[in-house]
Amino acid sequence: MFDIQQGDAGEVVLAGRLDAAQCEKAQQFFDKLPAPHVVDMAALDYISSAGLGVLMKTQKRLMANGGGLRLINVNHHIRDIFRFSGFDQIFEIVPAAD
Amino acid sequence: MRQHFPRSIESLDPIFAFTEAFFEAKDVDESLLRTVSFAIEELFTNMVKYNAAGPEEILLELTPIAGGVEVSLVDFDTEPFDPTQSRAAKVDGPIEDRPVGGLGLHLIKKMVDSLRYEYADRRSTVTFTRTVN
Repeated sequence: MFDIQQGDAGEVVLAGRLDAAQCEKAQQFFDKLPAPHVVDMAALDYISSAGLGVLMKTQKRLMANGGGLRLINVNHHIRDIFRFSGFDQIFEIVPAAD
Repeated sequence: MRQHFPRSIESLDPIFAFTEAFFEAKDVDESLLRTVSFAIEELFTNMVKYNAAGPEEILLELTPIAGGVEVSLVDFDTEPFDPTQSRAAKVDGPIEDRPVGGLGLHLIKKMVDSLRYEYADRRSTVTFTRTVN
C-alpha cells in the first residue's frame, strides 16, 4: 500500500511503501509541486532506491530555483538509508521522535 | 521457503507478502524485515531490468540462519552480472553532480552482512545474509 496526498497545511503526506511499483505515481505528484515543500514521512514505512530517485529528481528541480524539500518525521530505518545515500547533505531532514 | 515470481515489478507486493510470511513462520527477528525486503527488491528489480526478456520466472529462496536469514535470488538463462563488483555510487558533493538512481547496490552492500555471486550454466545466483547485529 502506498499513498501520497496534500495535507491540511499544504505539506506532502506520504504513507506506506514507496517501492519501484509506486514511484511513477509519486513522481507524477511531485512533478506538480511548484515551490519548496515540507514532506511528512511519519506514516512512510519503507523506501527503496526507486523512491530515492523520485526525491532526488524533485530536489534537483526545486534547488535549481532556490528551493528544496524538507523531509520531516523520518523513521530510523529510512534515516539510515538517507545517510548511506548522502541525502543528509542535500536535504533538510527532521527525524521522527523515536 | 522458495517460490518463483513473474519477471515484473508487479511481483513486488507478492514478494513482500512472501517475505513477511517467512519471517512469521520461522520466527525471524522482525527488525530485519525492512532491510531484507529492501535488498530483495533491489536485486529482483535489477534482474527484471537487465534480463527483461528472460523466459523463466525468478526464484526467491529464504532460509533461516542463526540470528537472521539467508536469501538467494536465481535468474535463469541470463548474461552474467555480478552485483558485488558494481561501481561505487556518488553519495557526496553538490546535488548538480549527483545522478538520479544508481544507489541500490551501494545500499545493499551497506545493509547486509554478506553478499556473494555465482554464475554457472547461464544461471545467476545472488545470495546475501543479514543477522541481528
